Amino acid sequence: MENFASLMHGFSLALTSYHVMLMIVGVMLGLLVGVLPGLGAPNGVSLLLPLTFSMDPASAIILLASMYWGALFGGSTTSILFNIPGEPSSVATTFDGHPMARKGEATRALTLAFMSAGFGALIGVVLITFLSSWAARFALRFSAPEYFGVYFLAFAAFIGMGSASPFKTIVSMMLGFALGAVGMDSVTGSLRLTFGFDQLLPGISFLVAVIGLFGIGELLVTMEEGLAFNSVATRVSPREVGRTILEWPRYWVALLRSSAVGCWMGITPGGPTAASFMSYGLAQRWSRRPEEFGEGRPEGVVSPETADHAAGTCAMLPMLALGVPSSATAAVMMGGLMIWGLNPGPMLFTEQHDFVWALIASMYLGNVVAVVLVLMTVPLFAAILRIPFAIIGPIIVAVCFIGAYSVNSNAFDFWLVLVFGVVGYLFKKLDYPLAPLVLAMVLGDKAEDAFRQAMIMSQGDLTVFWSNPLAATIMTAGLLLLFMPLVSFGVRRVRRLSVKS
Amino acid sequence: MSISRFAMEIVVALAVCIAGAIVVTGAMEFGIRWSESGPEAGYFPFYVGLLLIFGGIGAGAQAVFARSDSVFLDRAQLQRLVSFFVPMLIFVIISVFLGLYVGTAVYLLVVMRFQGGYRWPFSLVVSIGTVLFFFVIFEVWFQVPLLKGPLEEFLGIY
Amino acid sequence: MLRKSSLLVAMAAMIMAGGTAVAADWKPERPVEFVVASGAGGGTDNFARTVQKAIAAHKLMDQSIAVLNKGGGSGAEAFIYAKTNAGNPHKLIFGTNNVYLLPHVTKLGYTTADLTPVAAMALDEFLIWVNAKSDYKDAKSFIDAAKANPGKIKVAGSQSKDTDQTLVSLIQQVTGAKFTYVPFNGGGAVNVQLVGGHVDANVNNPSENIEQWKAGALRPLCVFAPKTLEAGPKIHDGKGWSDIPTCKSAGIAIDSYEMPRTIWLPAGVPEGAVAYYRELFKKVSETPEWKDYVQRTSQSGQFLTGAAFDDFRKTDEANATKVFVAEGWAIK
Repeated sequence: MENFASLMHGFSLALTSYHVMLMIVGVMLGLLVGVLPGLGAPNGVSLLLPLTFSMDPASAIILLASMYWGALFGGSTTSILFNIPGEPSSVATTFDGHPMARKGEATRALTLAFMSAGFGALIGVVLITFLSSWAARFALRFSAPEYFGVYFLAFAAFIGMGSASPFKTIVSMMLGFALGAVGMDSVTGSLRLTFGFDQLLPGISFLVAVIGLFGIGELLVTMEEGLAFNSVATRVSPREVGRTILEWPRYWVALLRSSAVGCWMGITPGGPTAASFMSYGLAQRWSRRPEEFGEGRPEGVVSPETADHAAGTCAMLPMLALGVPSSATAAVMMGGLMIWGLNPGPMLFTEQHDFVWALIASMYLGNVVAVVLVLMTVPLFAAILRIPFAIIGPIIVAVCFIGAYSVNSNAFDFWLVLVFGVVGYLFKKLDYPLAPLVLAMVLGDKAEDAFRQAMIMSQGDLTVFWSNPLAATIMTAGLLLLFMPLVSFGVRRVRRLSVKS
Repeated sequence: MSISRFAMEIVVALAVCIAGAIVVTGAMEFGIRWSESGPEAGYFPFYVGLLLIFGGIGAGAQAVFARSDSVFLDRAQLQRLVSFFVPMLIFVIISVFLGLYVGTAVYLLVVMRFQGGYRWPFSLVVSIGTVLFFFVIFEVWFQVPLLKGPLEEFLGIY
Repeated sequence: MLRKSSLLVAMAAMIMAGGTAVAADWKPERPVEFVVASGAGGGTDNFARTVQKAIAAHKLMDQSIAVLNKGGGSGAEAFIYAKTNAGNPHKLIFGTNNVYLLPHVTKLGYTTADLTPVAAMALDEFLIWVNAKSDYKDAKSFIDAAKANPGKIKVAGSQSKDTDQTLVSLIQQVTGAKFTYVPFNGGGAVNVQLVGGHVDANVNNPSENIEQWKAGALRPLCVFAPKTLEAGPKIHDGKGWSDIPTCKSAGIAIDSYEMPRTIWLPAGVPEGAVAYYRELFKKVSETPEWKDYVQRTSQSGQFLTGAAFDDFRKTDEANATKVFVAEGWAIK
């Protein structure tokens, strides 16, 4: 209850007209950077940082945090409309969001995505409000073996289903691991798989790969089939938004499950991208019609969006309470805190009581502001699909390349986008699944680091992954998830046989 | 003239095997053994490369055994694909040498005029308007410098 | 508006120069890029952004500043970027001693000759930290424990073959103790490992650990500086920075181990540009914003440029190279 009183105090600080104006400005700017692939919340935040030097820290963090919310929302927009993920964490939203848009349900998909995202964020803030000290202590129990367990769990939740040829799934996954391994190996400090190319030194950027595989690849498929978007059927009326909002509570199971997944991945170092994949995988696994996923199931939009935002919100907690940012944006904001003269860490909550609670209160308000604002933009965005393809097509191409360039300011990435575009096209045509590649690229590198750190700490003893209850639980859950499809398949087989005999 | 799916399957499977071989050679530069303190830097990439080769062979074999004569691309599709891909390629080449702004403007203009069939004035307005929009957002608002070429240098825009 | 502010800057510059001729007439003609050899939020990033803040607050330069993070390959990305921008005086590269140490341990597409040294603005300190719940009350008991159980004491640090691991190797060489070094990504993660009791020690900078010390979760054993640090306010249990003994006095024969915060230009830039930036950063080092940053992060504010910077660099490079050779990290 002490937290509740602090929160009310926080609201009294955050709810001024000046702060609400900052929230609106922040959300709008965030939406803009989120929508443009390549520009993301880290860009926006690092750009606004100098402007905030003259503000008081509470106003400054409200502005930056609102920008962060806006960017999280904006990232899903292009995923749904054009199959181009604006942010790494909105890749999973493309799987069903874009098919919905192709079917003429862009308005519905966008509304569902935004409502779910707002819900996920809200659950995340509630967790921060009431369980911050517990969650911070919990995060301290994580070391290399547990980190590996978290990545393994996320992987296990996602892999192991789908109708693709097992060989093709292996190819896709291994390609993801190989791409993720390019660049500096942080455990030995040596350069791997760069073959002497300086351009490969920072590694292959995930966003560049995704823009090529999904954005350009999708365009190639669309062009070859001679299709444009199904623009006529796209309903853009605000009434459609309202209808979808009424439909939305029906997905309460997916919403709650995905919030839990998101909070878990936000506190542990899994991060929003892994959270959205894991949540999508679980939604498909526990769905009564798993085969319809990928063709425009609403749950396929609701689940990754909820988890993404819950994780993105919870990621603020380790940053504030431990000084460990679990996302790129959190890292930039942490830098901001230090420049304003606040040191993130366990003392922040006691020493900067007003600041912390004003921030938490602003998270509630900022998200409400963000949801209202983005819902108003839905008809506007959906209307983009009505622009003739001869105009919007080349603009999308330009946006893809501009976005890819702005990730690293490196012209070499143009060629990478082209190559990934062709790979994406071929894979799609030949039924190689793309999702395992993307997930392996996101998690492979981190999982390998964690694995090898654990090995160094245990001096090569593999039992370290079962050496304490926490690690053992996570690893066992991962193994169960990994083998559950096999087991249930076996059980069904046996049953069918016994019925026959 | 059309490309069969079988041929494409084999080509992609071969490409995967080559990629696998590249990864394996890259991994061999570092230790690929399991040392006292766990796997060395090349350990995982080495097996990833081997699995790539394995998957490529598997996918190729599947294509051979379950050979289908379906068509991957027919002539009309290929034409549409080329007419989209070639301008994009030229866009990239122009952008590398003349900068992204010039590249974008030329690309939009040409595609809209000659493939979309819009009139010159309209095409010009849309392409230049789009470039200005990007310029304002990236350079002015977010101070993210995009690739520039000699034209911007000449105009004194940095 | 623009003209007015540049006029102000010119006047300010004249007043500061105090009649003596300004080093050269070179001036930046377009926006200046701060290329940071670390990801956003890292130590080098905070360094560069503090400089940016000080320049903006006192209008020390009439061109705008854009910050660009290029932290790939432990910062090598930024230095290679300098090489590809040879002769461009509008790109400043912010780093540490990694600029001249990285080429010794990794085969990279640049050498130190591809950059022009401008200045070092501060020296960051290193300490040995242990968990406050542990039995190690001083450096001696910690080293003795490591000697008694070779390889059993785990020390976490950020990255591999970087400053942290070099220091740990140096301690091993001078004391004969044997540790197990575990690389993590960044000082924050390293800290969580120590606070959570997963490793036994780390060698973080003061700013990375001050909050955990204040909270009573960590304990500093000794500092690798020639003399004890400046006093400052008391932090925990009546102790402040000046109460931490130097490691040399605690029996670890390392005179000093400090990491410079450095600024560079690409090679082949005009002499006047180097002189201009030296003057600029000298002014930055005198602003309250900078002094506050140095004090808050408990670094030693030393402005080194010209021959003094060169000397520092040579000594630092020679010492580190010795460790690299002994550990077998040095590349041929």
